[in-house]
Amino acid sequence: MAHSRGTNGSKLFTIVLYMVAACSSIPISDLLDRASQGSDKLHSLSTTLTQDLDSHFPSTGRVIMPRPSMCHTSSLQTPNDKEQALQVSESDLLSLARSLLQAWEDPLVALSTSANTLPHPAQGAIFNKIQELQEHSKSLGDGLNVLSGKMGPGAQTISSLPYMGGNEIGQDRISQLINFNFLLSCFRRDSHKIDSFLKILRCRAAKMLPEMC
Amino acid sequence: MMRKVIAVILLVLLLFFTAHSTGNLHSPPGKPALTSCRSPEKETFTCWWKPGSDGGMPTSHALYYRKESSETVYECPDYHTAGENSCFFNKKDTSIWVNYNITVVATNALGRAFSDPVEIDVVYIVKPNPPEKVTVTVMEDKGWPFLRVSWEPPHKADTRSGWITLIYELRVKLEEDNDWEMHLAGQQKMFNIFSLRSGGKYLVEVRCKPDHGFWSEWSSTSYIKVPDYFHREKSAWILITVFSAFTFLILVWLLHMNRHNLKHCILPPVPGPKIKGFDKQLLKNGKSNEICSALVMPDFPPTASSNDDDLLVEYLEVYIPGEQELVLEESKDLHHGCLKSESSTSDSDSGRGSCDSHTLLTDKCGEAKEERRQTDQGCSQIRTEAQRRPKDALTYAHGDVVSSNMSSGRVKTWPSVFSPLPRYSPSPLDQQSSLQMAKQHSLSTSSYLTQPGHSAKEALGQSYRDFCLSGKQPHLLTPQTLVSRKLQAHSDVNISSIGLKRAPAGLRSPALRTTEYVEVQRVNNEDMVLLQPVVSGCGRMEGCFQVPQGEVYSKVKGVDSDNVLLLQREGMEEDRCPCVDQETNEGTGNCHTLNTVSNTRKPSACIYTAMPVEDEMAPIVNGYVDSANMCTLHTC
Repeated sequence: MAHSRGTNGSKLFTIVLYMVAACSSIPISDLLDRASQGSDKLHSLSTTLTQDLDSHFPSTGRVIMPRPSMCHTSSLQTPNDKEQALQVSESDLLSLARSLLQAWEDPLVALSTSANTLPHPAQGAIFNKIQELQEHSKSLGDGLNVLSGKMGPGAQTISSLPYMGGNEIGQDRISQLINFNFLLSCFRRDSHKIDSFLKILRCRAAKMLPEMC
Repeated sequence: MMRKVIAVILLVLLLFFTAHSTGNLHSPPGKPALTSCRSPEKETFTCWWKPGSDGGMPTSHALYYRKESSETVYECPDYHTAGENSCFFNKKDTSIWVNYNITVVATNALGRAFSDPVEIDVVYIVKPNPPEKVTVTVMEDKGWPFLRVSWEPPHKADTRSGWITLIYELRVKLEEDNDWEMHLAGQQKMFNIFSLRSGGKYLVEVRCKPDHGFWSEWSSTSYIKVPDYFHREKSAWILITVFSAFTFLILVWLLHMNRHNLKHCILPPVPGPKIKGFDKQLLKNGKSNEICSALVMPDFPPTASSNDDDLLVEYLEVYIPGEQELVLEESKDLHHGCLKSESSTSDSDSGRGSCDSHTLLTDKCGEAKEERRQTDQGCSQIRTEAQRRPKDALTYAHGDVVSSNMSSGRVKTWPSVFSPLPRYSPSPLDQQSSLQMAKQHSLSTSSYLTQPGHSAKEALGQSYRDFCLSGKQPHLLTPQTLVSRKLQAHSDVNISSIGLKRAPAGLRSPALRTTEYVEVQRVNNEDMVLLQPVVSGCGRMEGCFQVPQGEVYSKVKGVDSDNVLLLQREGMEEDRCPCVDQETNEGTGNCHTLNTVSNTRKPSACIYTAMPVEDEMAPIVNGYVDSANMCTLHTC
C-alpha cells in the first residue's frame, strides 16, 4: 500500500514538474519580441514629447542648450556604429539596455514633478505623456529583468549611472524649459539605444524565423 | 533733327551703363542653407545645401562639421558622390548617437558666407531606399483570382542583423482610376490583394520606412493584368435577373387580376345612410322643415290592401263609463318609435309582435318615462287633458302621447279606460268613443307626424299632417284649451256627427264597465281608428295597464300640475301611469315638440298617490278631469 502510494506520488510529481517546466519556458525570441515592442513604444513617446515641446520652445533656448555629451548617461560606453554594435555580445547588449533604463528611473520622476508646473502651453499633454513614459519604462524594466535571468550572468550586471540633477530642473521659466528640453533629448537618445539593442537581440534570437528580421 | 540726336545719345549712354553695371557689380556670396541630410541605412549619410547668390563671381562652397564631443572641425570628405551641392559621409566618417554640427561656407573673391549650423543625429534622419524586386503575380483561390505582391528590402539596408527594422506599405489601383488603395504590410515582404475586377489592369507600388524614420520613395510601378472570369460572374447575374423579372411579372399579373378586391380592401366603400324614403340630397341642402316634411311619406299609413303586414298595431283601450271616457292610444308608431329607439328604422316591422302585449307596453311606459327627458324633439306631445265639461258631453281622452321621438322609447301606455268596445259595429256610444279614440289617435299621431326628423314620422301619412297643422296651436297654455281646440279641430272629423252629448251618459253606465281591450288595427285615411278586440290577456305590468279581464281602468284620477292625466283602475288605489304630456311648441312650426315630463324618478310606471276613489269620483263623474282639481295627483 505505501509502496504503491509512493510510486503514484512520484509519478504525479514528475508530471507536475514537466508541466511547470513546459508552461514556464516561453521562448526568448518571444520575450525579446515583446521587449522590442515596449522599447519601440517608449521611443515613440519620447519623440512625440520632444515635438510637443519644440512647438513652443523659445528660439533663444536652442543656442544655450547644453550639449548632449552632458547627459548623465554619456559615461556609459555604447557602440557608435553598426560594426561595433554587431560585435557586442547579447548579454552585454542586454546589460547596456538595462543600465540605460535603470539610469532614467529617477530623472523621469524629476521630469514628472516639473511637468506639473511647466510654463508651457501644452503642459497638460506633456504631463500625461511623462506619466505614460514612467509606466512603460517600469514594465520594460520588469521584462528585461526576466530576460536577463535567461541570458547568462553577463546580463545581470547593471552599470550605475546616477542622476545628480535632483528634482529641481530650473529656477526661472527659461531655464526650466531649457533643462526640460535637454533632459528629454537625452532620454530620447537613450531610448533609441535601448530599442536598437533589443531589436538586434531579437534578430539574433530568431534565427529560425528569418522573416522576423 | 536735334531730337533725334539726343535720343540716340541717350540710348547709347543707357546701353553703356547697363553693360557696365552688370559687369561691375560683385559682392560676397549669399548665405547658403543646408536643406536636408539623409541616411539611407543608418551607416552613411548625405547632406545637401542650397547656395545663395554668388555675388557675380565664382563661388565655392565648403562644408564643415564638428562632432559633439570634440572641437575638431572637419571638412566634408566627399563632395561628389552625392551630386552637386552635397556632402557624402561614408561609413568611416559616420558615427551614430553622436550629434553633428554642420556648417556650409560659401566663398568667393569678395568674401565668405556661413550658413546656419545644423545639429543632426544620424539615427533620426534615416530614409531608406525603396523596396526592390517587386513582383506581382495572379493567383487563384477557389476559382477567384487574387494578386500576390512580393518584394525585397533595399539592398543597402541591413535588416538581417536587425540593425534596421523596416515596415512596408503598398498601393494598388486600376489603370483608369485616380485613387490608390493603400495597404500596410508591416514587416512582411509579401501581400495578397483580393476583390479584383476581372480583366482589369492593375498598378502596384511599394515603399518602406524604418521603425523611427522617414518613408522611402515609392518603388517603380509594376503592372499586372487580371484574366477574365467574366462569364462566371455574369451568368449568375443573368440568372438572377431573369428570375426576379419572372417573379415580378407574376406579381403584377396577380395584382391585376385582383385589383377589384384590392380596391375594396384598401379603399372600402363608404356606407351611405339607409333610410327608406329619405332623400339624402334634401338633407344636405334643405332646411329642417323641409327635411321633416320630407320624412312624411304621402302614402302613409299603408292601405289595408297593400300593407297588411305592416299594420300598425295599436292598442286602444276605450272605456266608456258614465262619466268619462278616456281613450288611450298608442299609436303604432309609438311602438314603433320606442322599438326603434335603439335601432334604425325597421321598415318591415309589422309592429304587431313587438307591441303586442300589454307587458311590453308597460315596459315601454316605464322606459318612456325615463327617457322622457331626453327627447326634445319628438313628435309633439299632445297632451290632452280630460276636461270636465259639464256642458259639453264631449269626452276627452287625456293621455300622454308618447313623443314620436321613438328613440326615446317613450311609449306610454295608459291604463286606459276600457270600454266594452265590440267590433266595428259599435253602439253610438262606442262609436263615439271609438271616434274619440280615433280622434285621439289622430291627434297623437298627427302630433307625431309633425315631429321633424323622426324616423317614425315617415310612416305617418300625409293626412295626419293636416291634423297636426290644424292642431297646431300657438302657445296653448292650458291643456284645457289645447284639448278643446284639438277637439274642435277634430270636430270636423266624423265626430261631429256623433251625438257626443250622449257619450257621457252612456259612458257612465256601469253596465259598460266591463273592460275589454281593443286593438287598433289601423288608422284609415279618413282618420278613423279601426279597432279590434284583443283576445290576449295581458301580463303583469307594473304601474301601467294591468288589465285583467273584468277590471275597469281608465278612470281618471286626476291631472297633476304638469298636466299629466292620471288614471286609475277603478276600485284601486294606485293609479296607473298617464304619461303622455303634450305641449305644443310653436317654435317648431308645424311640428310639436314633446315635452319630457319629469318622470325619471319613477322609472317604473307612474305611481300615483293613492287617492280616494270616492273623492275623485265626483269630479270625474263626468269623465272629465279638470286640471284645477289635479293638485293631489302626481305625475308619472
